[in-house]
Amino acid sequence: MGLDTLIDASLAILNGGSLAYLAAGVLLGLTFGVIPGLGGTTALALLIPVTYTLAPLDAMYLAGGVMGATSFGGSISAILLNTPGTAPNAATTFDGYPLARQGKAGLAIGASATSSALGGLIGLFTLLLFIPVAREVVLSFGSSEFFLLTILGLAAIAVSVKGKLLRGLVAACLGLLIAFTGANQFNGHTRFTGGIDYLWDGIPLVPALTGLFAISQMIELALKGGSVADEASRLEAAKMKISGVGEGIFAVFRNWPVLLRGSVIGTLIGAIPGLGGTVAAFLSYSSTAQTAKDRETFGKGNIKGVIAPESANNAKDGGSLIPTVAFGIPGSAETAIFLGILVLHGIEPGPQILLQNEKEIYGLIVALTASAVGASILGLIFARLLVLITRIDVNIVVPVVVTLSLTGVYVLEGRMADVLCALLMGILGYLMIRFDYPRLTLVIAFVLGEIAERSFHQVRLISDGQVVEYMLSRPVSVLLILATVVTFFLPAMRKLRWWRQTGTAE
Amino acid sequence: MKNILATGIAAVALVTGGAAMAEYPVDNNITFVIPYSPGGGFDTIVRQFAPALEEAMGTTVVPENISGAGGSRGGQAVHRADADGYTIGIYNIPGLTVNEVTGRDQGFALSEVTWIANLAVARYGLAVAANSDINSVEDLCSKGSPAKLSDTGATSTASVTTRISFGIMGCDIVDVTGYSGSNDAMIAVISGEVDATIKPVSSLKKYLRESGSGDLKLILTLTEDEVVPGVPTVADIGHPELAKFTLNRVIGGPPGMPADVVAAIENGLRAASESDAVTSWADGAGVELGFMGATETAAMMDDLATFYQEYKDLAAAPE
Repeated sequence: MGLDTLIDASLAILNGGSLAYLAAGVLLGLTFGVIPGLGGTTALALLIPVTYTLAPLDAMYLAGGVMGATSFGGSISAILLNTPGTAPNAATTFDGYPLARQGKAGLAIGASATSSALGGLIGLFTLLLFIPVAREVVLSFGSSEFFLLTILGLAAIAVSVKGKLLRGLVAACLGLLIAFTGANQFNGHTRFTGGIDYLWDGIPLVPALTGLFAISQMIELALKGGSVADEASRLEAAKMKISGVGEGIFAVFRNWPVLLRGSVIGTLIGAIPGLGGTVAAFLSYSSTAQTAKDRETFGKGNIKGVIAPESANNAKDGGSLIPTVAFGIPGSAETAIFLGILVLHGIEPGPQILLQNEKEIYGLIVALTASAVGASILGLIFARLLVLITRIDVNIVVPVVVTLSLTGVYVLEGRMADVLCALLMGILGYLMIRFDYPRLTLVIAFVLGEIAERSFHQVRLISDGQVVEYMLSRPVSVLLILATVVTFFLPAMRKLRWWRQTGTAE
Repeated sequence: MKNILATGIAAVALVTGGAAMAEYPVDNNITFVIPYSPGGGFDTIVRQFAPALEEAMGTTVVPENISGAGGSRGGQAVHRADADGYTIGIYNIPGLTVNEVTGRDQGFALSEVTWIANLAVARYGLAVAANSDINSVEDLCSKGSPAKLSDTGATSTASVTTRISFGIMGCDIVDVTGYSGSNDAMIAVISGEVDATIKPVSSLKKYLRESGSGDLKLILTLTEDEVVPGVPTVADIGHPELAKFTLNRVIGGPPGMPADVVAAIENGLRAASESDAVTSWADGAGVELGFMGATETAAMMDDLATFYQEYKDLAAAPE
């Protein structure tokens, strides 16, 4: 039954009209992905009124095209400008940007394109495997598991800031402080609002992230001057004629375990509503960096540091459809808008969405797959051209990026206060760069803080105050507790082994 | 030269003045403010009504999302606009009523809004997991420990409804709030994390055996008349006053709108709500249309304010 529909949907997409919508979606997604501040959510939100007049299936192709293409688009700016195009690409800057500075931007983009396409394919393949058990997967994640997952995420931050533990913790605490601003999700009381209405809904994610990543980086570039790629590598790259794209593709196949792990992490995190791509990409990056043999080279231009977050980032789209096929609920901000488009077409998403709207769901799956692959192929074709951005004088790059990203922030909700918020966060981000505090630590804490607080209160009420007993009685919770313990003690154990080895060697 | 200019200005003033006095709406767009982001329930209903309203009124209707501060930012924008009928908005009722009663400053007073119409109404039901031993409110309230219910925010209408109705019934409960949407709150019941939930019947339907997946069991509807065969109503259990809890999609405008303008928009909205496009969409999407005109809507708003004032203490979010 499912396979037939899937094949039908794949064939239907070859119709001229449908293909045009898909292609339009891919181009739009790439563009919105590349421009910092604009992302998949913004693109889809702007598309809602447009899809009103389309047939439901064409609307799905358009939406799928956008969803599949944004994350790869975002990696391009992460690699070339150290400015993630969308928040989930933040982890890609760690190793992508050092590669670009070494004149190896082609290698990084090649790897990012390939791992995005393959990650997307693996994610959707996993989704198809999961469809029969999707209900069980969703039902086994309750408040207790949500809480423990956020703790696992916070633990991963703590161990990932090697050598800068205190700075990392300061940044994470600042992130939590920002997360707790506004109405408490649990009982609705407002906090830290200082009488400003704007803060009732908390600090909005998109303006904050645009400020922290894009604006701050532009301040840094503007003050430094020159161009992104340093002089020596520019001369070298000129001689080498920006090759490396092909090498980047092969690097992904050589590092297939990294790709596979990233895709699995992406799918699983994607399946859990509320966590999103930023957390998925970060967890994939940090687990790869923690367990790799050559972990000293991470952060200095290790290609695995590009493959890990980008594969997770694209796989999460497949995963975020697991709650959708099981219960008709969104697994991510993008799927939420996608379900909104269905409602606009008079389709009520619910637990039987896969039975009643098989065509639309499989249409979206096919569109997502085609888009992830299509965007990457486009990216590979234009990679050589894109790399030239790193050679452009920053006096041209900075005004363009700042204008585009602030426009994006404004467009999303039409609020000037959001622009101000992005600017303030940009200054904060610049100070953090200047004084060497990790920004991603702040962002992960910001994303997780609210969910952690709310789910903890829920567990407390649900378990009648017996939080620990309740958690220990749930198998998935126990697994997550174990994972957290391992995350914490892995670095310590490694150090211990190193001591022993050097001890016997002497 | 000066004379010509003055005559010109006078002529323009005469023309525009005359047009304003003539039939509303003239060649001007009507801005329809939605106080939430695109894709949600309020956004969808406005966008569904907009084309039919355009046809009925003969002018362009532009939906505009002004989200923030729990829906009050959009309400403020409408409040500040000129009362000429070219700016109207949709309101979250009784959410805003409850906020006002519990003393939250929303930047505008609901009593000053010019009420135009009510587009849709959602009635609440109480559901438990399909495989649960609980079959009635009595079972739920006598299970030994306080029953646990699931909700989104503590200031959400469903949560306020839950606290007030169980308070009136004299039944001790724990309302577990913080779920990200009403679907998540219903899934918490299916997974057994909580015992029950109060949600609009139209949202519960897709999980019921008769009309959906069969994961949930409806044990009470907050209505006076039977809406689902075989399921008792609040009137049956002796609390007909609980039928007052509904979720409304109310349309209003800035304070002091002229009566003829209100009537024109009211008629436009009525025609739109009877149009094929809107009715067939509502059928598919499970939206219960319940059109009310301006007078009726204003009366309902007064009524609600008094009602929630009475249960102000129960309505306030717990510490």
